[in-house]
Amino acid sequence: MESVISLASVSRRYPRGVLALREVSLDVPPGQFVAVMGATGSGKSTLLHCAAGLDRPTGGRVRLAGHDITGMREKQRTRLRRDHAGFVFQAYNLLSELTVRQNVALPVRLGGPRNRTVDEVLAQVGLAGFGKRPVGELSGGQRQRVAIARALVTAPSAVFADEPTGALDPTTGAMILGLLRAAADRDGAAVLMVTHDPAAAAWSDRLVLLRDGVIAHDGAAPDAREIADRLRGVSAVAA
Amino acid sequence: MSSGIVRQALRRNPWAFLGPAATQALAAALVTTGLCAVASLSGAPLTAAQRATMAADGVADMGIVFLVASIYLSILVVGVTMGTAIADQGRDLALFRTVGATPRRVRRAIAAQAAIVAIPATVVGVPLGLLFGSAWVGGLVGHGIVPAEVTFRVHGGVVPITFAATIGTSLLGALIAAIRPSRLRPAMALTEAAVPRRGRVRTPIGLLLVAGGVTLSVLISDASAETADNAGLFVMLAMCFGMGMLGPVLLRLAAPVARLFGPVGRIAADNVVARRRSLSGALVPLTLAVGFAAFTIVIGSTTEKVTGVAMTPADRWLTYAGTGVYAAFAAVAAVNTLITVMQARRQDLAVVRLVGGTRGHTLRVVICEALVVTATALAAGSAVAAATMLPLLHTALGVWQPYVPPSFLVGGVLGTAALVLAGLALPAAAMLRRPPIEVVG
Ligand SMILES: Nc1ncnc2c1ncn2[C@@H]1O[C@H](COP(=O)(O)OP(=O)(O)OP(=O)(O)O)[C@@H](O)[C@H]1O
Ligand SMILES: [Mg+2]
Repeated sequence: MESVISLASVSRRYPRGVLALREVSLDVPPGQFVAVMGATGSGKSTLLHCAAGLDRPTGGRVRLAGHDITGMREKQRTRLRRDHAGFVFQAYNLLSELTVRQNVALPVRLGGPRNRTVDEVLAQVGLAGFGKRPVGELSGGQRQRVAIARALVTAPSAVFADEPTGALDPTTGAMILGLLRAAADRDGAAVLMVTHDPAAAAWSDRLVLLRDGVIAHDGAAPDAREIADRLRGVSAVAA
Repeated sequence: MSSGIVRQALRRNPWAFLGPAATQALAAALVTTGLCAVASLSGAPLTAAQRATMAADGVADMGIVFLVASIYLSILVVGVTMGTAIADQGRDLALFRTVGATPRRVRRAIAAQAAIVAIPATVVGVPLGLLFGSAWVGGLVGHGIVPAEVTFRVHGGVVPITFAATIGTSLLGALIAAIRPSRLRPAMALTEAAVPRRGRVRTPIGLLLVAGGVTLSVLISDASAETADNAGLFVMLAMCFGMGMLGPVLLRLAAPVARLFGPVGRIAADNVVARRRSLSGALVPLTLAVGFAAFTIVIGSTTEKVTGVAMTPADRWLTYAGTGVYAAFAAVAAVNTLITVMQARRQDLAVVRLVGGTRGHTLRVVICEALVVTATALAAGSAVAAATMLPLLHTALGVWQPYVPPSFLVGGVLGTAALVLAGLALPAAAMLRRPPIEVVG
């Protein structure tokens, strides 16, 4: 099956000479949940941003949902993102003055596909009945669930998550990971998640370890203890 | 120690105080102009007969009227812009409560900052006012409104009086605005910014003032022309303050209009409702400008139409010069406030783009919001002008129907829209140039 997320020899050099990604290649098929780990500064967020079309690589090619986005103009890339990608960030990135429902409806109001109803996704993330609450009044875990609902309302073919559980307690974190897991299993989305937490990575199908902008390991995700050992391995070499 | 931290918080965003500083400079300029106008008119070597003619023409007190209006406007406008600047920092300030700053210390530090900003602003404003003043006296003489013996004179108290006026108004505005952030419990600091504040007394007071203004307006419609003339000022004051108090409610009522523009308009409507309080800070000066300009210009044009007598060039000059100065002052304040409101939304605009809004989409949302604010300001300003003007027209001319020159109507609507767009859409367009992930990341 054709991969939803596809990077071919992608490099990203930042203005002041930092080479954050060096010829990284990665393909994620539908329904696969990939965890990206690595030491701080190893290029995880850069990889996610390039794959999602939020950043432009300086070399290589990126395809998203069957479209080559490498040379696309900003407007087309934004539309593609709106129609095929969902985002979850550590910092939630919600409009805190608006209500839960208004936040979740945002992609659809911006013209995205209305594949699922707001009520349906709110029920799925356990926030049925929270629609009218201002986001500013919610707890961190509730806010992250709003962010997931917003990411899922268009039934995207790819979901990108950058440390989605970084600010949450283990129980709430597990709930968020369960929702990402369901997006892959139930909805067939390709899920690319950056995390520092071996327990979070253990929810995935596949583990990618980055070291200094290069993929140091790429294979089936083992259990949390083994992930932690591997992580110590790459971090020790990097340090 | 803690006041040092507060000062740092305020300095973190040096642009925040640019708005108040600009309006303070203009306020200083207007007060200086007013003082010099008083000095020039009263200090001129005129004969008793000349003075009697001036008094009969109603120009003798012109300087004082101008001065009083300037101070009144300064209090309103500087107070509003200062309030917006402080509210914008409210969350940061509340956070400093967590590291041990007492409410009193926070209030004192804010007041000190407000006063310090007023000093350079006044230093810039006074020379500007001297220029305005000499141009104004030149205009009066040039149009034969006052005898040629009247020359430009600098009022002896210009420096102390303008400083007292600008520092006083900023302190007042800042202290009122600082009550809330300084009282906030530190634990609330993080969520406060997102929780809509409910004004329990604000709306009833606003309704009371507007009702009072309208009632007075109806009562004086059948009084003598002189009574109506004297009471007109109170109608205007009550209506202006009342509309200012009702600002958030008016915006909430007007917001659904944006829904006419489709899904993007619906986002705009939600945004206007969510931010109605900060946006109403811009509504006050806009309403003042629209109300004041509509009042003076429509009174003049209706009088011309009903009596069939054209205004003398001198009268025309007086009307337009005065209106122009006040409207410009209010316009600067409104644009300032809007820019401050927009700056605080940098992050939100980036979020809209992150979830799939193109630059065009995002800008359209902001433009829809600007149109709602414009429509609200025009409606509120027209209500102020109508309540003030109708009794005067009826008592003096015996008509109820005002004559609005089409050119003024078009110019007023376009001018207001241009101001609001300049305050909201221009800064938004500038912010949209940066990639969204850089802004939120
Ligand atoms: N906007 C930027 N300009 C210049 N250099 C950057 C920029 N963003 C990231 N970098 C550099 O690129 C490298 C990779 O950064 P990246 O944010 O991808 O790391 P990361 O793996 O996500 O780290 P963390 O775990 O701390 O989030 C780092 O050396 C970083 O300093
Ligand atoms: Mg990162």
